[in-house]
Amino acid sequence: MINPMELIDRTIMVTGASSGIGRETAILLSQLGARLILIGRNAEQLNKTLASLEGTAHHVYTFDLSNIDEIPRWMKEVTSASGPLHGLVHSAGLQFTRPLRIMSSENIEELMRVNVTAAIFLAKAFRQKGVSADSGSIVYLSSVMGLVGQSGQSAYSASKGALVTLTKSLALELSRENIRVNCVAPAMVTTEMSGKMLELLTPEQVLQIEAMHPLGLGRPRDVANAIAFLLADTGRWITGTTLVLDGGYTAH
Amino acid sequence: MTQQEFLRELEEVLEADAESIKGDETLADLGSWDSLAVMSFIAMVDENYGVTLAASKLASAKNVEDLIALLGDKISNT
Ligand SMILES: NC(=O)c1ccc[n+]([C@@H]2O[C@H](COP(=O)([O-])OP(=O)(O)OC[C@H]3O[C@@H](n4cnc5c(N)ncnc54)[C@H](OP(=O)(O)O)[C@@H]3O)[C@@H](O)[C@H]2O)c1
Repeated sequence: MINPMELIDRTIMVTGASSGIGRETAILLSQLGARLILIGRNAEQLNKTLASLEGTAHHVYTFDLSNIDEIPRWMKEVTSASGPLHGLVHSAGLQFTRPLRIMSSENIEELMRVNVTAAIFLAKAFRQKGVSADSGSIVYLSSVMGLVGQSGQSAYSASKGALVTLTKSLALELSRENIRVNCVAPAMVTTEMSGKMLELLTPEQVLQIEAMHPLGLGRPRDVANAIAFLLADTGRWITGTTLVLDGGYTAH
Repeated sequence: MTQQEFLRELEEVLEADAESIKGDETLADLGSWDSLAVMSFIAMVDENYGVTLAASKLASAKNVEDLIALLGDKISNT
């Protein structure tokens, strides 16, 4: 038997590992043999993830990714303790529903900071000498909202659309450094983020959203599997790609 | 927040003229109480009052007073 997605002896950093997709991704990657570095702001929730990981030698660091300029130095410090990274998953992100009439520039800036600016700076930090191993793989979390629109989602979809083309440019810029860059674009996955969004809707609206997913809503493991595929050797020849995971959402 | 402040915020959500909402209107009277207004109202209440309002709760609101009631003691009477 072979496991083409095994990640033994790889060290992978996951941001947003305290919740939802990031947590589930960390768990799966550990089951595939990886050593994890879990990042988020909430230490209690990060430790909960840590307790669910397989294997040992994992690390937890609390860090607020909105401190953009500190990211490179911070990542250097982290990896001087853990050893160089083979992979990075940026699952930390913010979402809000906000029509233009009540949109403020602060709302937009806060969202862009974590979803986009931090994504760029994480790549800047990752490529530093000694921070990544001789080959590396970065995976961003875009969304179907980055590919198609929905009213009330302009800022969020702008941030997620930005990741699709950021992925392409970085794939070209970093190929000579042996770093692959890809992203996944999920439709609605049951997590805290989507739960908070669904809570605000009427039962009819929820049914309507469900109906837009021919295969039903996704589970965090559905996204984690695709991320593992891109990180592992199965992704060796893949860079600059957005892998859509949407139960048929964008097939309409 | 006071009731007057709430009415000014509601005008913004509904894109109604300033000082045009008095508080005794039905939502049907206001005309612009559509899906984007509901979405905006939910986001406004979340940000300004820290209250998470389910759309199903809002669906039963018939007039401006019902909206005020949804926020309970977050809005003072003055
Ligand atoms: N759920 C969906 O339906 C869905 C669909 C498509 C795309 N996505 C994308 O997938 C990613 C993960 O979503 P999710 O559903 O798992 O969200 P979630 O459950 O809300 O988790 C978001 C994570 O982001 C972290 N985070 C937020 N701000 C941060 C900051 N300033 N510094 C460090 N960490 C921060 C949070 O950690 P702390 O609270 O510990 O800081 C948390 O772990 C997001 O980028 C989202 O846009 C989600």
